[in-house]
Amino acid sequence: MNRIGLIVAGALVVLMLAASTLFVVDQRQVGVVYALGEIKEVIIEPGLKFKLPPPFQNVVFLDKRVQTLDSPETRPIFTAEKKSLVIDWLVKWRISEPRQFIRNNGADFRNLENRLAPVVQAAFNEEVTRRNVSAVLATEREKVMTDVKARLIEEGKDFGIEIVDVRIKRVDFVADITDSVYRRMESERKQVANELRSQGAADGEKIRADADRQREVIIAEAYRDAQKVKGDGDAKASALYADAFGRDPQFAQFYRSLEAYRASFRTRSDMMVLDPSSEFFRAMRGGAPAK
Amino acid sequence: MRDPELSRTPSRIGAAASALRAWLAALLRHRRPQPDGRGVLIFNNRNDGPPDLDELWRDFNRKLSGLFGGKGGPMRSGGGGDDGGGGPSFQPDMKSAGIGVGLISVVALLIWLGSGFFIVQEGHQAVVTTFGKYSHTKDAGFQWRMPYPVQAHEVVAVTQLQSVEVGRNAVVQATGLRDSSMLTQDENIVDIRFVVQYRRADARAYLFENFRPDEAVVMAAESAVREIVGRSRVDQVLYEQRDAIAADLVKSIQAQLDRLKAGIVIANVNVQNVFVPDPVQAAFNDALKATADRDRFKNEGQAYASDVIPKARGTAARLLEEAEGYRSRVIAQAEGDGQRFRSVLTEYLRAPVVTRDRLYLETMQQVYSNVTKIMVDSRAGSNLLYLPLDRLLQQSGAPTGTAAAPAATAPAATAPAPAAIDPTGTQSVDIRSRDGARTRDREGR
Repeated sequence: MNRIGLIVAGALVVLMLAASTLFVVDQRQVGVVYALGEIKEVIIEPGLKFKLPPPFQNVVFLDKRVQTLDSPETRPIFTAEKKSLVIDWLVKWRISEPRQFIRNNGADFRNLENRLAPVVQAAFNEEVTRRNVSAVLATEREKVMTDVKARLIEEGKDFGIEIVDVRIKRVDFVADITDSVYRRMESERKQVANELRSQGAADGEKIRADADRQREVIIAEAYRDAQKVKGDGDAKASALYADAFGRDPQFAQFYRSLEAYRASFRTRSDMMVLDPSSEFFRAMRGGAPAK
Repeated sequence: MRDPELSRTPSRIGAAASALRAWLAALLRHRRPQPDGRGVLIFNNRNDGPPDLDELWRDFNRKLSGLFGGKGGPMRSGGGGDDGGGGPSFQPDMKSAGIGVGLISVVALLIWLGSGFFIVQEGHQAVVTTFGKYSHTKDAGFQWRMPYPVQAHEVVAVTQLQSVEVGRNAVVQATGLRDSSMLTQDENIVDIRFVVQYRRADARAYLFENFRPDEAVVMAAESAVREIVGRSRVDQVLYEQRDAIAADLVKSIQAQLDRLKAGIVIANVNVQNVFVPDPVQAAFNDALKATADRDRFKNEGQAYASDVIPKARGTAARLLEEAEGYRSRVIAQAEGDGQRFRSVLTEYLRAPVVTRDRLYLETMQQVYSNVTKIMVDSRAGSNLLYLPLDRLLQQSGAPTGTAAAPAATAPAATAPAPAAIDPTGTQSVDIRSRDGARTRDREGR
């Protein structure tokens, strides 16, 4: 009976001892073992670890995953051409030197972020004020990020952290400028719209004019060809007349004259004032046949 | 969007609790027939509320006091894994108790080992850690690990598509813009909303490399979209390159996450909404309308052209056809006239004078019978002869005007033709004929 009790008591003691001396360092964490307030050991490799029981040693865990520092407040930064931009950034960092980290910040991440944020902000300030808006916005955005990161790497070492990545999230104008941006956008659009419309009108007019020109050309060419054909016809007709009339030009003239008279005087409204002395009335005058 | 941090802790506590419960239950059932290990296991794995612990505890105490002969008291952890070892010098009561303790230990050990079984759902992976250190990754199925506290596992949905919306409506104080607004290269402001779909492809990296990796996706997406829009013109963003932007987004977000070793693979990005802020919406719409207007103007021009040119072609064809017709007509007329003349000439040559006079008289008869005529003997009359020509014309014209009209149409087909052949020609013929008439007049006198 006593033996069982002893065994039980012994097991209890062993368990308690194990609980106070053994500890698990998670894959996500580093363990920092303090010996009477002094950093005794930093355990980076995860697993089951050993330390002295609490009064002598205790352990603090730090997250060693990549952390995100988001820009806390958005203070406008002046660019090279004195426009103020609001720049949101984020910094990805992780603990690289736990000792350094704790010496500088203690184990509190918020403490570090409060101290790191102004440093990042200052780095951005310096990089942005050297550039103009279009550089920050587009052409040198990548460069700004890498430059800021380069600046921060040294600072990060003091903090015991590694800067994994620096990203610009937002680049916008401050609220006062936004309105004028809207107005400019509006006028730009108006300009585009007007240009499009007048372009369209010009194109339409061009097409119309071209059509008119084509019409003129087509008709004129057709007229030319038609005249050619007509002239050809006239020439052939003339030749035919000449051929026929040429046999007796005098008679031809007489014959044609008669035809012409017939064609000329045809209606009652044609009035002739006649002199009976003409040859036609010779018989009327009672004259003998001519010759 | 399950937070692994949150799900991890309860599962551990749950594991501990179920192990303890299993152990207690095993102790209780030890004397009863067939302590069904499997049934216990199922009971163990079910995470419903603990069975009435008070009652169990009382039951347990009662049994213990029965075993150890009135020695009561809480000895929960005393049983341990160690063998109680029934000594030979013990009373039979104690001996059986020793055997009992041994059995309890064996069963407890079995159950402890059994608590290492777990099921990984399809599409998930379980990451197994040994004392916190990554050990290996298990795929879907019924799996076993070393039980608590040696090993633990965490389940990550690896194939399931996670989706997160980027771009909210909230207004940012400092810029007075919506959260989803951003500047383009030409310093215009556009709003973009999109959905990022991703997989937690690498369970190990997902768990161990980043603090809140799902938030990192959103941040990377926000950074990426602003970078891409920042180097594009507003027209490209709005109209021309939406698809390209989505593709660029996938690339850029993935690159950022790879730099963080987040273990996340971006499946795709759906750009849902690209629009300009409300204050300038109308102007942009108008510009769009202007594009339509431009096309309309062009089309109207085209329409005019397609109306005019074919018509001109038609006119041209008509001119040509008419010319052809004219030519044929003129030639045919000339042939006809020539032929007629030739025939007349043949007869004329046979009897020139007779024919000539006959022709003359016939013609004059025809002419005089048609026209209004006034005969004035110039030799007999005086120079004071008064001819009210207009009155005469009125008298003669009125009645014949109607009669002449239908008569005029009949010869119209042929009549204008000889006149139109050649104006100068006819004129000369006229002159000649007048001359001829005069000569004949003179001859007559």
